[in-house]
Amino acid sequence: MITLQSSDKDVFEIEQSILIQSGTIKNMVEDDFTFIPLPSVDTETLIKIIEYMKKHADKTDSKEKNIKEFDKDFMKKTLNELFALVFAANYLHISSLLELLYPSIADRIKDKITEAIRQIFSIRCDFTPEEERRIIMDNKWAHEGTEIEGTLD
Amino acid sequence: MSTTADEVINTIALSFTDFPEDVQLNILSFLTPLDISNFACTSKRFVTLCRDDRKLWFSMCERKWGSKTHINKWGNGMISYKILYYTLLQYENLIGFWRRSGVETDVPLVFFEWGRFYVAGSRVKPSKTGSYDAVKMPFLWMGITSKGEVVNYLDPVGKLELNENVMNLDDLGVVESDLVPVNVNFMGKNHVVVEENGSGFGYSARGSSSSSGNVREEEYEDLCGSPGSLPDKLMSEIYQYFANKTSPGGNGSARRQRRRERERQGRRKWEPEDYVKIVNPLPTPDRPLQGLWKGFCDDTTLEFFLVSYDDIGGIACRRLVELCKPFSAYAPVFWTSNTTFIRSPLSSEEENIYESRMHIQPLSEADEPCEVLPSSDKRVILCMHFMNSSYDLVIPDLAGSTVNPRQAEGRIWQYEDGTFGFGFLRDNYIIDLRCIAQNGQILEVADFSGE
Repeated sequence: MITLQSSDKDVFEIEQSILIQSGTIKNMVEDDFTFIPLPSVDTETLIKIIEYMKKHADKTDSKEKNIKEFDKDFMKKTLNELFALVFAANYLHISSLLELLYPSIADRIKDKITEAIRQIFSIRCDFTPEEERRIIMDNKWAHEGTEIEGTLD
Repeated sequence: MSTTADEVINTIALSFTDFPEDVQLNILSFLTPLDISNFACTSKRFVTLCRDDRKLWFSMCERKWGSKTHINKWGNGMISYKILYYTLLQYENLIGFWRRSGVETDVPLVFFEWGRFYVAGSRVKPSKTGSYDAVKMPFLWMGITSKGEVVNYLDPVGKLELNENVMNLDDLGVVESDLVPVNVNFMGKNHVVVEENGSGFGYSARGSSSSSGNVREEEYEDLCGSPGSLPDKLMSEIYQYFANKTSPGGNGSARRQRRRERERQGRRKWEPEDYVKIVNPLPTPDRPLQGLWKGFCDDTTLEFFLVSYDDIGGIACRRLVELCKPFSAYAPVFWTSNTTFIRSPLSSEEENIYESRMHIQPLSEADEPCEVLPSSDKRVILCMHFMNSSYDLVIPDLAGSTVNPRQAEGRIWQYEDGTFGFGFLRDNYIIDLRCIAQNGQILEVADFSGE
C-alpha cells in the first residue's frame, strides 16, 4: 500500500498496483518510497485521479464498454475541474487520462469566436484596440465564406 | 497559510495560459484551422504560437494522420506543415475503394491507401491462378516535393519503389518514359479524374484542382487567401509558372529536350480516367450482405462483385466489371429485398435445397475436381433470403410473364462467419463469396510477381 498526501494534507492509502498507472508514482515506488507527498495536487483533484485510476486498473475485455461509459461521464465536469485534472495528470504522467482530457477541453472552444475563447479559457487580452483590429484583419482569410456566428455559451 | 488566502486561491480560475506549451499544443491539435484562427487572436503569445508551423501545424497533422503516415517524411521533411495539412485533407478523401467509370475494362477496381510519405493507388484484380487471391498492382503515386508542390505520377508498369523521401522527377532517377505526370482532380467528393498533366511536369498546380465539391470547401478557399499569406504567394508562383512556362525549379531547355525525346519514343498519350468512389465497400451489422466480395462462379475464374443496398429495401449484387461499363446494363447477378429472409433453423424443404448442392470450389483447392460432395462442411447458416436473378416481377402462373420463375429464383445463405453463398433453383451449385477487404486492408493479396 502506498500513501499519497494532497496539498491540503489529506492522506489516501491505495494499492501499488493501481497507482503505477502514474509514471511519476511508479518511479517513486521503484525507488522504495511508500509515502508520496503531492504538493501540487489538491484533495478534490486527487480524489478524482484516484477514482480514474481505480476504474482503469482492471482492463479486462468485458469491462471495456463499462470503462468507455465511465470515461464519457468522467469528462462531464466544469472546465476548471478539467484544467486541474490536466495539471495533475501532467505532473503524475498519466497519459491515458491526458489523452481523454485534451479533446474534451478542445471541444469547449470549438466554433467559438475569439472573445468567447478568451472568457472560457481565462486568457487576458494584451492587444491595444489598434493591434487587435490588425490581427483580426490578418486572420480574415480563415473567415471568408463563412458566417461569423460565435456563441458566448 | 491564512484562511483568506486559501479562499482567494480557490476562486481564481485556472487559465489555459498556465499550461506548459506541449500541453497547449496537444489541446490545440484537435481543432480545425478555423478554430485555430479564432484562438490565435486571443493574445500576443498565442498569435506567435499559432504561427509556429513546426509546432502547431505539425501537431495538427500528427493528430489527424500520424497513425497512418509519417508526417515528418512528407516533402522530405522540408515543407510547411500548414500546406501539408490542407494537402492531406484532400488526399484523405481518396483513401478506400474506387471503381473505373464510363469505360469497359477488366480491371475496374482501384484501392487508395496511405504510404509512408505518399498516397498510393493500386489496381486490384482477381488472381488468375485459381486461388482466392487478389492481385494488387500499384499504378499511381501521389505526394509532395520538398518545395511544397503536389506531384502525382502514373506508373503504368508498376516498377517504381519509393524508398527515397523525394518526389522530384529529376531526383527519382528512373527512366522518364516510365512515369506519367498526372493531375488528380476532384469533381465532388465521390468522383475523381486522373488526367495527364499537359505541361509534362507532374506539378499539379493547386489551383487546377476542381474545388467545386470538395468536402472542406471553406478550408480550400482559405488556402487561396488574401495578400501576404503563404497560399497567395504559392498561387502567384503558380500563375507565373503557367504564364512563363518556367517551372520553379527546372531548366527550360532541359525540359524541352526531354519532351522531344519522349515524343520520339512514341509515348502513348493517356486518356483521362474517371473513378467513382465505392461508398460502402464493407458489410455492417445492419447490412451483412453489403460490400465488395469475391468468389468463383465456375471452378476456374475468380470474380469480383459489389452488393449494394438501396433506399427502398432492395439488395442487388452485380459483377464489378459489368458495373463499370458505360450505360451499364442493369441485369444484376441477383436481387432481393432485405425483408425476405428466414432465420435458422430452416424448414426441411429448404435444408434439402441447400444440402443437395455442390459448393463451387476453385480447382486448386478441390481434392478431386469432379467430386460431388454434399455440403457437409463447417458452414453454419445464420439465415436465408429468397432472391431472383432478374428485376422483373416474377409472379408464378401469370400468363405472359417473360421470366420462368424457376429460371430466375434462388437463395442466399448467410453464414455464421460473415460470408454468404448463393445459388439458383435452375442448377445445383452454391457460389460462396468472401470479403475482398477488412479493416482497411485487402485480404489475401497475391505476390505481384506471381502473376
